Amino acid sequence: MKSKIINMAEKIKDAEDRLLESLFESPPLADDGFSAAVVRKVNRQLWFRRLTLPVATAIGAAIAFKPLAALVSTLANFSALIPEDIVIGATSSIPQFQTIVLGAILLVVGLVSMRMLEH
Amino acid sequence: MLSSSTDNELVARAVSGQDTAAFGELIRRHQSHVRNFLRKLAGDYTLADDLAQDCFMHAWDKLQSYSGRGSFIGWLLKVAYTTFLQSKRKSKRYAEILESAGQVADQESRSAVHPNDEVSDLDKYLAVLTEEERAIMVMSYACGLSHREIGDATDMPVGTVKSVIFRGKEKIRNSFEIKDHQHG
Repeated sequence: MKSKIINMAEKIKDAEDRLLESLFESPPLADDGFSAAVVRKVNRQLWFRRLTLPVATAIGAAIAFKPLAALVSTLANFSALIPEDIVIGATSSIPQFQTIVLGAILLVVGLVSMRMLEH
Repeated sequence: MLSSSTDNELVARAVSGQDTAAFGELIRRHQSHVRNFLRKLAGDYTLADDLAQDCFMHAWDKLQSYSGRGSFIGWLLKVAYTTFLQSKRKSKRYAEILESAGQVADQESRSAVHPNDEVSDLDKYLAVLTEEERAIMVMSYACGLSHREIGDATDMPVGTVKSVIFRGKEKIRNSFEIKDHQHG
């Protein structure tokens, strides 16, 4: 009720208000390609944002490839030094070790993919 | 199809599906109000149109924050006013850097060339107002926003909006004897 009264009071305009309205009035501006230009900018920004993550990932992978390969070969050399009976003992105590590791990797990849799709 | 949708429907489409066509329709509907508002605030048509583009880009980024409670044009003018104030702050900082580099005289001589040589009655009226008064008077008398919508757009209580409008009217009245005009 109170807000209705306030709105009514706002609508009651005196001659001065009407004069100011006519002074402040401007003819509507033609679009003349304005909205198309903004939409083009928005589309460019969208594509840029969509491409940023994959491009950054590719660049990161390219940079990390060489040190990662070196690390893998070092680990391979290191594993050759471990006595064979210890390796056999570890895998036999956890029979589905490889399946568990594979499952964990798939779970992490799946979660990351879902997150990316959501975004 | 898009032209028959309400503003809120278009906002929903733009937010949920990143639908730039729906956002384009919103721009087409409101660009005239936003550009006119910024032209009156900035006084420079080219700058105002650049600011209007920035305003719509900001609006696209912040579209999720529009709750649909007030009018969309009210929300849009809030974004436009913020964009204008940010640009003012940036140009002030730029002027300070120029001043410290001793280039202010050159800058002033360049800015003295105004694109619109003819000064309209409205320009004269707006010149006696402060930036805040100008923005609020334009929102009220040129864009037809209610006091509540202006309050939302400027983060001011409705009472303050009313007193700013009252003060602005008084300044115009005192400077140009607007009452005499009104009575003939």
